Amino acid sequence: MNNQFTFEGKQRTTLIGFIILGAICLGLSFLDNTVPYHMRFWSNFLHNTVFFTGISFISLFVLAAFTTAYGGWYVVMKRVWEAYSQFLIVGLLLMLVIIAGVWGHFHHLYHWAADGITDPNSPAYDPILAGKAGFLNKYWYTFGTIGFIGMWYFVFAVPMRRISVAEDTEGTTDFEHHERYRKFSAFFLPIAAFSSAAMIWQWVMSIDSHWYSTMFAWYSTASWFVSALALTIMTIIWLKSKGYYEQVTDEHIHDLGKLLFAFSVFWTYLWFSQFMLIWYANIGEETIYFKERVTNYPVLWYGNLVMNFVLPFLILMRNSTKRKYGTLILCCLLTFFGHWWDFFMMIKPGAKINADHAYHAAHSAGGDHGHAAHGVQGFVSGFTLPGFLEIGIFLGFLALFLYVVLGQLAKASLVPKNDPYLGESLHHHV
Amino acid sequence: MSAHKEVLYGLYDDEEIMLDAIRVANKQHLDIMDVFTPFPVHGLDPLLGLEESRLHIAGFVYGAIGTLTAFGVMTWIFTRDWPVIFGGKPYWSVPAFIPITFELTVLFASIGMVVSFYTVCGLAPGVVNPVLDDRITDDKFCIAFQTNGLSSSEIDKYSSFLKSTGASEVSSKVI
Repeated sequence: MNNQFTFEGKQRTTLIGFIILGAICLGLSFLDNTVPYHMRFWSNFLHNTVFFTGISFISLFVLAAFTTAYGGWYVVMKRVWEAYSQFLIVGLLLMLVIIAGVWGHFHHLYHWAADGITDPNSPAYDPILAGKAGFLNKYWYTFGTIGFIGMWYFVFAVPMRRISVAEDTEGTTDFEHHERYRKFSAFFLPIAAFSSAAMIWQWVMSIDSHWYSTMFAWYSTASWFVSALALTIMTIIWLKSKGYYEQVTDEHIHDLGKLLFAFSVFWTYLWFSQFMLIWYANIGEETIYFKERVTNYPVLWYGNLVMNFVLPFLILMRNSTKRKYGTLILCCLLTFFGHWWDFFMMIKPGAKINADHAYHAAHSAGGDHGHAAHGVQGFVSGFTLPGFLEIGIFLGFLALFLYVVLGQLAKASLVPKNDPYLGESLHHHV
Repeated sequence: MSAHKEVLYGLYDDEEIMLDAIRVANKQHLDIMDVFTPFPVHGLDPLLGLEESRLHIAGFVYGAIGTLTAFGVMTWIFTRDWPVIFGGKPYWSVPAFIPITFELTVLFASIGMVVSFYTVCGLAPGVVNPVLDDRITDDKFCIAFQTNGLSSSEIDKYSSFLKSTGASEVSSKVI
């Protein structure tokens, strides 16, 4: 059996081609200034960076959770998740661009980053954001992003990967490597829970900076989780089609399919809970978030539910659809794109409001900045719906992600060699 | 139910030995009546040629009935029978119906499946089901053949099959 993946030149060329396509689309979106301050470019950049960094983070979380829970079934394909988690460093580099933008005011993604927001004498003063300034400020944003992604990568992802690969050659029957891996995993879980929530509030929730929801971190993390599972299933099936991973049987795929189904339902539960509590309480400053989306972005709003709940729920409910590659890949494509779409809906409406607001504040001498800004109305490509540029950028980021991942996969055996749970995984039976 | 069944059965000490025995039986085209094990044995169903259970299809139907019942009844109550405004919401407030719809879907599906399962398996309070040997609920694995109306030479064939494939005990019983 061929356990050594080779990253062929043709695959490299294809992926680089897509990366260039993505870069061109990203450049073109910078030129589109329908929504002011190049917001289409900045929101796309943030959207895709957060989406793929999150998938990378969740893969590390999955490894830590399964290891801590004494899981054995996944061991045969754990190298895929290890490879995914190595993308974190690229995510950190990409986030540096956003951080530079926060400091240099290159973008208006975050209302709280505006000058004078906490100064009562400034025309830009905002009492709500002044009250949140202890958390929503440039220092926290910079420290949190660099510190937390850096910690996920340097303190956990890299050492865990190194231990796992070292186990292939130096592994003993005392399983010292596994014991160390287990310690890293157990430490990572609580840290991951708090740090990911803090970062998702900063990166995404603070775009709608007046609004907050305590369920937001759960909800968006569940979104990352489903996308990571969908991409994992597609990667493994692709590797199988190339003749690798003969040890990964229908039984493993079936379990991944069950997780995809379960987490799609879990995501829906959180999505609906967040919506219903706010809808029921009917407090103006909370409902504004949903009012904006349901009224002005109905296709995004309802499409989200259809792609991420209704279709995967009905298709994946049967036993056999999780064992057939056709139906499973269909659901993976749906949910992977669907959760990208979900993040699109979290980011774009707020980003557009922020840009319009900043433009309005800068161009009205009278100082009626407190009123809702009336910017571009009606359909705006790249905001109301993803346009061609967004699809191109999405493919570009996906190609970059896969380029890093496949490069990492080629560096070690696809199936770990001395993992104590390998035998259990090879004989996995549902 | 038909009258008494005459059953010839063998007890095995290990599920692997029993699985091998079933493979031999399949090769010899012996008609196994049933297999009893103390726990679910992986790979047993395909060996016995058992079809996938249809219980989950029934469960889906019960669930769908629950969904429609909850949604229909709430719609009827809040729009026709006794419309009340709660918190300034419209009469037909779909998001408020979702939790109850979910609960009734689960309730209908679970109760429906339990009742169906018990009915199909002939289980109910007070029903006494014959047991071939008490130890098949503990540590023995049993292959049983029905021997009603078979000649003694045929019964011998089954009995020698059981012995030759490693059964630790072979007995017969009328249930």
